[in-house]
Amino acid sequence: MLKIEQINLSYGEIQVLWDMSLQIPEGQIVALLGANSAGKSSTINAISGIEKISSGRITFQGKDISKMAPHEIVELGVIQVPEGRKLFNFMTIEENLLLGAYSKHARKDIKKNIRRVYDMFPILEERKDQLAGDMSGGQQQMCAIGRGLMSNPKLLIIDELSLGLAPILVQELLRTLTTIKDEGITIMLVEQNVKQSLAISNYAYVLENGRVAIQGDAAQLTEDPHLKKAYLGM
Amino acid sequence: MSKKHIFPILLAICAALYPVLSDDRYIMNILIMILLYATIASGWNILGGYGGQLSLGHALFFGLGAYTSTLLYLNFGLSPWVGMIIAVIVCIIAGMLIGIPTFKLRGPYFTLGTIAFAEVIRHVTLYWRDLTNGSMGLNIKYEPSFAAMIFKEYEYYYWLILGLLVLTTLLVHWIDRNKMGYYLKAIREDEDAAETLGINTSKYKMLAMMISTGITGLAGVFYAQFNLFFEPESVFHMNISTEIALIAIIGGAGTVYGPILGAFIIIPLNEILRASFPDIHGMNYFVYGILLIVIVILTPNGLLPIITKWWDKIFRKKVSKTKGVTKYDLESQ
Repeated sequence: MLKIEQINLSYGEIQVLWDMSLQIPEGQIVALLGANSAGKSSTINAISGIEKISSGRITFQGKDISKMAPHEIVELGVIQVPEGRKLFNFMTIEENLLLGAYSKHARKDIKKNIRRVYDMFPILEERKDQLAGDMSGGQQQMCAIGRGLMSNPKLLIIDELSLGLAPILVQELLRTLTTIKDEGITIMLVEQNVKQSLAISNYAYVLENGRVAIQGDAAQLTEDPHLKKAYLGM
Repeated sequence: MSKKHIFPILLAICAALYPVLSDDRYIMNILIMILLYATIASGWNILGGYGGQLSLGHALFFGLGAYTSTLLYLNFGLSPWVGMIIAVIVCIIAGMLIGIPTFKLRGPYFTLGTIAFAEVIRHVTLYWRDLTNGSMGLNIKYEPSFAAMIFKEYEYYYWLILGLLVLTTLLVHWIDRNKMGYYLKAIREDEDAAETLGINTSKYKMLAMMISTGITGLAGVFYAQFNLFFEPESVFHMNISTEIALIAIIGGAGTVYGPILGAFIIIPLNEILRASFPDIHGMNYFVYGILLIVIVILTPNGLLPIITKWWDKIFRKKVSKTKGVTKYDLESQ
């Protein structure tokens, strides 16, 4: 579905991604793991068109999206749930969700999608008229995922889902991601929380210093000695 | 028509009736300046208040509007009514040309970019004497006629600028309640987040720039016809740009009526300060600075949200949870 081929990305003179290649097959959850500054957010910003790569190629469903503008990429169904939720705090929960239905292909399904989001996260329906800034971190994350779903995504990229959330809430949200996958939406999960991410993923890439250091089936990676030592503290 | 629209409509009707009730030219002159600056600040508000693109170069479009219609009138005898349309087109094109490079910049860099362009045009106007008459400025001969947009009676100027302000306010109100307002606010709050939602940020910033510069240019034409004389310093100076932004920020940037409130505070204050301290040049800017600091500390969103809150308390209304943001329905588009 998504193919990244030997991309390089620099901020000025500082190169952050080095010949990176990865693939995300349709209908799977693929985890992109790594410590801070490993290049995870740069990778997804390159996919979303927010950062422009200096070389290499990114294709989505066979179409080259390397030089596309972010709104064109969203129109194709590649949706990012950004790190830190980035909700619009002066808007209500429902207004934030509606803002997710900006793309042309999503507008026709507003009613269906908002129902789906409310069924998935009933708390959002209860508090739909509340300002997003007044919600708890977990509810904000639900709203951010819901806003992503309002865009009718084919590929949902979720950046740092667990950031600042209680472990039990993270588990609940990760379970919801499995439900979203079962509905046919491909998910790219970008996380520092290696253990919990691998538990729900099909495949994973581990980034180190802007390069893919390890990759493999999620189940196998949990047994990888380097990963165990570096990320799982075992 | 909802209840909350009744007050502004009544206010507009009362304002329209003012010249019938009074013929005090001094007060009328001040009111015209208030309405003029309220119009320009409302135009600025679309880009700066809603879109969060803090332009400090809007005097460029004010001056460009004034020079375009006046040069067409003086050199080709073209009626300012027609010149007005051409001036708006010129200002929109100039806005687009400036927007292309400056929208790549963010925050203070964008602001510096707008200042730089305004200063360049001010200097070009000063030194391109063959066309603009340089620092001698342009004089429009006082020959009252409707075609020349020169009126013997002040009230016609008053009604003209009031009409322009009403139209501008209606446009801002429409933007505020429509998807464009939501998208601009989203860009203002977090441009990257807006991009990840698929909002074409470049398109909406450019649209805001075009509308904003068009309105400012229109106001420039009115100023030229009202004053009948202007020179580069009186229309292109950075103080004008600062004043426009201050009016909107003090009144309430990103709100429909904030810039109007700001104009009703700043312009009379300017008059009072000039009359009270005739020997101290720049006293008004000193007071503006203090006022801005106080307002930014006490009420960063300007005075209008506080007044709205008081109004709601007095009339025992429930304060909106959404702080004035209404729900819009994308399905209707």
